Amino acid sequence: MKEERKKIILILLISIFMLSFCLLPVIYMVIISLSKNPDFLSAEKTLRFTLKNYFDVLSVRSLHFTDYLKNSIAVSTISAALSVFIAALAAYSITRLNLPGKVILLFFVLVVSMFPQISLVGWLFKLMAELGWINTYPALILPYIGWILPLSLWILVSYFSQLPKELDKQALIDGCSRWQILFKVLFPVALPGLFSTFLLAFIFAFNEFMFALMLTADHKARTIPVGIALFQGLHGEIPWGNIMSAATIATLPVIILTIVFQKRIVQGLTRGAVKG
Amino acid sequence: MLPKGTEKSKELIEAYSFISPLLLFILLFIFVPVVGTIVTSWFKATTFLSEKFIFFENYRLLFKDVNFWQSAQFTFLFILVSVPIELFLGILFALVLNCTIPLRGLLRVCVLIPWAIPAAISARIWELIYNYNYGLLNFLFMKLGIIPKPINWLGTSLGAFFSLIIADVWKTTSFVAIILLAGLQVIPEELYAQAQVDRADFLQRFYRVTLPLLKPAIIVVLLFRTIDALRVFDLIYVITSGGPGGTTTSLSLYAYKYFVGGDFGYGSALSVILFLIAFFMSIVYVKLAGFSKEIA
Repeated sequence: MKEERKKIILILLISIFMLSFCLLPVIYMVIISLSKNPDFLSAEKTLRFTLKNYFDVLSVRSLHFTDYLKNSIAVSTISAALSVFIAALAAYSITRLNLPGKVILLFFVLVVSMFPQISLVGWLFKLMAELGWINTYPALILPYIGWILPLSLWILVSYFSQLPKELDKQALIDGCSRWQILFKVLFPVALPGLFSTFLLAFIFAFNEFMFALMLTADHKARTIPVGIALFQGLHGEIPWGNIMSAATIATLPVIILTIVFQKRIVQGLTRGAVKG
Repeated sequence: MLPKGTEKSKELIEAYSFISPLLLFILLFIFVPVVGTIVTSWFKATTFLSEKFIFFENYRLLFKDVNFWQSAQFTFLFILVSVPIELFLGILFALVLNCTIPLRGLLRVCVLIPWAIPAAISARIWELIYNYNYGLLNFLFMKLGIIPKPINWLGTSLGAFFSLIIADVWKTTSFVAIILLAGLQVIPEELYAQAQVDRADFLQRFYRVTLPLLKPAIIVVLLFRTIDALRVFDLIYVITSGGPGGTTTSLSLYAYKYFVGGDFGYGSALSVILFLIAFFMSIVYVKLAGFSKEIA
């Protein structure tokens, strides 16, 4: 009984630590974003609330925050959707058709996913400069697709291999073509798996930093993480209120996605890592 | 009815056609750039000047470059300190999240939040937390009486190092916890029940039952985090930009600075070194993860 009590207290303490550890910086971000004086923690000042930071970042065009947000959403959505589609075709081939050398292929893809981004970005920069694509969406979307594909493939291979094989066998006997099977039989059944893969792919693209830093130049293509990282005040002093409200707006969608689809995200993450 | 051979080769062609878009993208946008980087590293390649083949000259310079060794040392120290802390906290969090406690779902969501926030954005939050004049850390530590006056956390190399470690631990412990939690959930209840009968206490149960069974998941997470920490960039770029005095420049950041400066040859040589280390680690990772058993 005594041990049981000790255990409960221990769990409680760790939970409190865990919660404050994970949430304190986020709460801090939100408070600063709502403050008129981000320096209120320095001596003898009281916090005054305002919504002006939010109005600023959403309405002052020269801050370009809305452009960054638009770029991020467009680039991440397109990259995630295309990579899930391409990975689904490949996963179908690996799990359902007799693809020779599929073990080697999965091995290759896994190793590729561990390549440091810095070992690609210099050459990609030269390529995109050659093509005149620096600071455009394709300069980000094309490398992003390559970058997210390994993760998408691994999750989908693991997902597809759990779906019963009889499903498409029957359709094949009924005289459907492979494409018909894929679109009419497999995809509808696999929709939850495709969706959670899309979510993870979207979050990965949305959070990407180095490619976006190197391959974009200004608000025409720059994404939110880079925009916020390089966000500087007009008069030297760092505009923390604006930065934190921009950060809050940018992280809100991701946090909501995470809360709503928590189970799917965890499933996808563990499929991609543990089963690897 | 077609003969069997034709049927077989038809399936083969279909199998290849379904996988070809994936291969095309990975080859064009990952594989070719890496090969391109390797080739570039053999050249004296700077903007405005014509490229000149110098083979291993960049590498010879690199091994004599004090700053390269400094950034290599920083990167390995960063891995050696951050990964064990992340693993320890990750196991702790996973164990708690695996208990049947009230509000478990809510706790799990909260743990995921740091993972979901872009690293560059969380880096800015930490930059403000460490702020000398009005940051949260100095405020809390002074309120609690831990320090008598504010400390310039990012002003010394030791302070900057640990500031980066904490920011990294915050960002990545979620991932470790989630993966280990999945590993914990497949451990059968009966094993704990048996240990209970044997009158093993909490720690004994952990050492005898949990840890051995969790080992595969721990190895996976360890290697994954090590490779990830090896390439650390976003956090450092935002919080310290490699300072003070270049003491927190990771290998990725050091190479990046050469790319931005227009010296593609030397930047590529630096990247290739990093690539080779990551490559060998990932081979080990794939081997240890017992990967070949898994496929459909």
